[in-house]
Amino acid sequence: MRRIVLIPICFLALAVPVVVLANGFSGGFDAVVSSIEMRYHVHAERIPFLGLVSFVARASTHDGVRGMHVAEIEDFHADVNGEELNKLVSEKLGPGWERVIRETSRNGGDQTLIFMRPEGSRMGMFILDLDGHEMDVVQMSVDPEHFSESIGKYEHHHADGDGE
Amino acid sequence: MRSRVAVWILGLAGLALATGSAMAQSGLPLPSPVEKELAARASNATEVTLGKNMLGFAAKFMDGKDKDEEAVKHLIEGLDGIYVRSYEFEKEGQYSAVDVDKLRSYFEAGGEWSSIVRERDKKSGESTDVMMKMVNGQPHGLFVLDAEPKELSIVLILGPVKMEDLSKLSGIGGLGVLGDLEGNGNKNKDKDKAKGPKAKTGGEE
Repeated sequence: MRRIVLIPICFLALAVPVVVLANGFSGGFDAVVSSIEMRYHVHAERIPFLGLVSFVARASTHDGVRGMHVAEIEDFHADVNGEELNKLVSEKLGPGWERVIRETSRNGGDQTLIFMRPEGSRMGMFILDLDGHEMDVVQMSVDPEHFSESIGKYEHHHADGDGE
Repeated sequence: MRSRVAVWILGLAGLALATGSAMAQSGLPLPSPVEKELAARASNATEVTLGKNMLGFAAKFMDGKDKDEEAVKHLIEGLDGIYVRSYEFEKEGQYSAVDVDKLRSYFEAGGEWSSIVRERDKKSGESTDVMMKMVNGQPHGLFVLDAEPKELSIVLILGPVKMEDLSKLSGIGGLGVLGDLEGNGNKNKDKDKAKGPKAKTGGEE
């Protein structure tokens, strides 16, 4: 009799953390976009031929950018609670991601979230930008050295411009 | 015997849950309740959070070709984290001195802090606080709280910091306030109630 009671208790004890951890770990770009669609009753447009676009981006940037994912949500009219959106993205994105920048303006109407995570020698970037009635979600893997060089070019441009 | 196995299973289950939740935490402080209120009232709120992992990762890709980059690399690879919050308000009076005091006490609670700059302008209502955390006589953290009538900024840097290198971090988003910190610090030292950092031993976090 005791064994009959013990088995389901042990099963539940193991099942609960497995389910909790599995929910946390089975995240990623698609999980975030799906959750946003469900929560705010919107439809995300996936960019056609994105695989090709990603390939072209990879070749043209000499492997500076790869693994691009893009989703665009137009006619986004739902009221957004910044805290809730931030929590939703953090939970669905999966392990390893750290939110480095969060910008909120117009009393929550505009939101920008930038998450990063080290991916070996590369850096994963996840960007969510809600601007008025449009939300863009982008994920990519960048080579930090290329990235740093590109930023450097713009900095020099900026400095040159100031000097003129 | 069976009950001992059950205890082990329950213990492991608890551990698995605890590990999962601990993964979400970083070494930096959690936002104070006041910050949430301020963010709700602000017309623009910017939050920059860089944990030790991210700083270490960024440092790997600094080639240190020039002196400034070398100094930044050296500075950030030893840091535990950088925490920046900036709130812009549409009108004056959207935050009170009580909010500022609450913020100050929240961050001060995390260790032994010594005030190095304390500036109050009664006319404009502006105030600046710069505090340093000393561990074994060495600076191990810097906290800047800058309050202007329509803007409130917090910068928290945890880890070994060198004042002479701090201005080089001003290029990082939200850390512009550090650019003239050294100058301001020297300027205010004499005319305000500033006091030099007191070395306090045994002030570990």
